[in-house]
Amino acid sequence: MAERGRYLYAVTRGLTGDQLAGAQGLADAPLTTVEHDGLSAVVSDVDLEEYGEEGLRRNLERLEWLEEVARRHDEVVHAVAEHGPVAPLRLATICLGDEGVRQRLVEWHDALAEVLDRVDGRREWSVKAFAARAPGTRSEPTAEVGATGGGAAYLRRKKEQTLSRAQGEEAALQVAEQVHARLSGHAAASRRLAPQDPRLTGHTGTMTLNSAFLVDEDREPAFLDEVQGLRAEHPDAGLELAGPWPPYSFAVLDQA
Amino acid sequence: MSTGSPENPGSTGSTEVQPRAVEDRPLGQIALVDLLDRLLGTGVVLAGDVVISLAGVDLVQVRLHALIATVREEMKKP
Repeated sequence: MAERGRYLYAVTRGLTGDQLAGAQGLADAPLTTVEHDGLSAVVSDVDLEEYGEEGLRRNLERLEWLEEVARRHDEVVHAVAEHGPVAPLRLATICLGDEGVRQRLVEWHDALAEVLDRVDGRREWSVKAFAARAPGTRSEPTAEVGATGGGAAYLRRKKEQTLSRAQGEEAALQVAEQVHARLSGHAAASRRLAPQDPRLTGHTGTMTLNSAFLVDEDREPAFLDEVQGLRAEHPDAGLELAGPWPPYSFAVLDQA
Repeated sequence: MSTGSPENPGSTGSTEVQPRAVEDRPLGQIALVDLLDRLLGTGVVLAGDVVISLAGVDLVQVRLHALIATVREEMKKP
């Protein structure tokens, strides 16, 4: 049994398997390349018991499995990026053999070449912003002056709180817009990803911005300066910078 | 050969800008949640007959499960 499949990590240009000697694929399998007309797909053998449709469905529910595959996929993508522009593939793209891989390269050749052109010499940076803890939760003046009906005063206070919280959120969203716009000015492309769940970020504040920027390597100093500048201007926005990464968010094919 | 970029007399090597870019993690080390965002949400999708891919799996489900599992892991930690 033990049918084998070919797991695709990334597509690049003119790379041979032995140039990736330092890196290993999933389950430490050796990496090889499948080539077509200037494009190289980086692949390794996987067991279809584990990576077939049924195996995937089962395994994707297990975080340890998912993390291991994601980390290894990422390592291979990094290794490929050392050699040239890289178009990372989505996690768990598997062909049944090299011929299948080659067919994909033939079919998607122009779109892949376009992606590689777009990301060449550029890297991805992540910038996140957070809304500060809601102002309404701060301790409020308890001593109510004047005995003019506690109920009315309470309602008024409540209303003010709601109002100030709404204003705080509004302001945080405006800051997020501004951060995204200013940084986009230093990037070749930018995207806004969905904000992440607060339980995962370790922040009490709500994520207001989860942006990805594709930045020319020689414009990185200016981009990073702008991040520093924005941090100074908006100390409450909790700006988080991460990267540089391979251009994951920008390796999206323009579907023909 | 330059790639047609604007003049850059300082020729700042990418390595020179890296140290201050790092905040909490080693350079380029990507948090799992960010990595999954990207590997499951973006990246090249090569659909086709001979391809098994996540295009055929309900990604929302996968992400949800991964998220819940991550949170559980976090909560287990002292």
